[in-house]
Amino acid sequence: MVIELLTKRYPGMRAWLMQRLTALVMAIYSVMALGRILLEQPSDYEAWLSFSQPWWWRVASLLFWISLSIHAWLGIRDVFKDYVPNASVRGLLLKLLVVMLWVYLAWATWLFLAYAGSADLVLR
Amino acid sequence: MQNNNLDNNAQNSQKSKQQAAKRNRPKNLNLFTIRMPINALVSILHRVTGCVLFVILPLLLLLLQLSLSSAEHYAMVVNLLHSLFIKLMLLGLAWAFFHHFFAGIRHLAMDVHWMTTLMKARFTSKAVLGLGVLATLMLAIILWS
Ligand code: HEM
Ligand code: HEM
Repeated sequence: MVIELLTKRYPGMRAWLMQRLTALVMAIYSVMALGRILLEQPSDYEAWLSFSQPWWWRVASLLFWISLSIHAWLGIRDVFKDYVPNASVRGLLLKLLVVMLWVYLAWATWLFLAYAGSADLVLR
Repeated sequence: MQNNNLDNNAQNSQKSKQQAAKRNRPKNLNLFTIRMPINALVSILHRVTGCVLFVILPLLLLLLQLSLSSAEHYAMVVNLLHSLFIKLMLLGLAWAFFHHFFAGIRHLAMDVHWMTTLMKARFTSKAVLGLGVLATLMLAIILWS
């Protein structure tokens, strides 16, 4: 029955579950970030770079942002469903939302995977 | 029994797509006319803070990129914090995150059926509001020390 609930027939259940899973990923990342900041206390540029540069941290950051994109899409979509009664206006806003989230995701991916890891950041 | 209900729901949702326009279900989402017990307050603040977090996403990415790009830019970002106005803004946004975080955890707890009776839910609502304020105060102490 639980599996049945996750099929296409009940898209609401999938949305509900995704909202929870992404919330969990983000919560874990947030606690990790707080823990690392308290442990390492980065207080200058050098320290801030070495905080951001480990590859596993950049991968975790990317996972966080992917979760955030899905989470925000589901969340804002719910808000629009409640407060934007006009279907065509809502459709337009939803398209805008999706475009914004993709742009942010592209930006974040570049930041985490390429930019934050580039060695010349340290050398400059 | 459960399955039956679900099947009905699935059929209803298909029908309702066509009927939604015709049916006039009463709907009251005007926040200013709704009584606000503490659980409702936590809930609507969760929604408001979620929207606020969405709105500041580009700012967040911009600050992250600036702070990484060079020592000068890093210093620029840190220097922003010398302004009282920016400090207060940051505290406000930090509160938004903390509240959304704690209320979100409360949601997840309730989804696994923990703390779901009315009295317990009221208690966790107070805890969520309190923890959000407490975390913000701690950040304030750090910012001003
Ligand atoms: C630690 C991080 C987070 C946790 C634990 C969390 C948790 C949750 C949970 C459990 C829900 C579902 C509430 C419901 O079904 O009514 C939710 C909704 C939502 N979240 Fe988050 N969230 C987090 C971060 C974020 C971020 C970063 C954003 C913004 C980009 C965001 C935006 C939203 C929005 C807009 C909603 C919909 C609110 C509503 O429908 O009332 N959340 N969050
Ligand atoms: C056979 C028993 C139960 C089943 C199969 C069940 C199933 C579910 C499911 C599927 C949801 C998610 C619905 C949604 O939010 O869209 C849910 C949410 C919830 N359930 Fe249950 N539940 C059961 C018993 C209970 C009991 C006994 C309580 C409380 C005393 C309870 C309290 C809640 C609460 C507070 C939520 C969160 C609603 C929300 O998202 O705002 N449930 N339950």
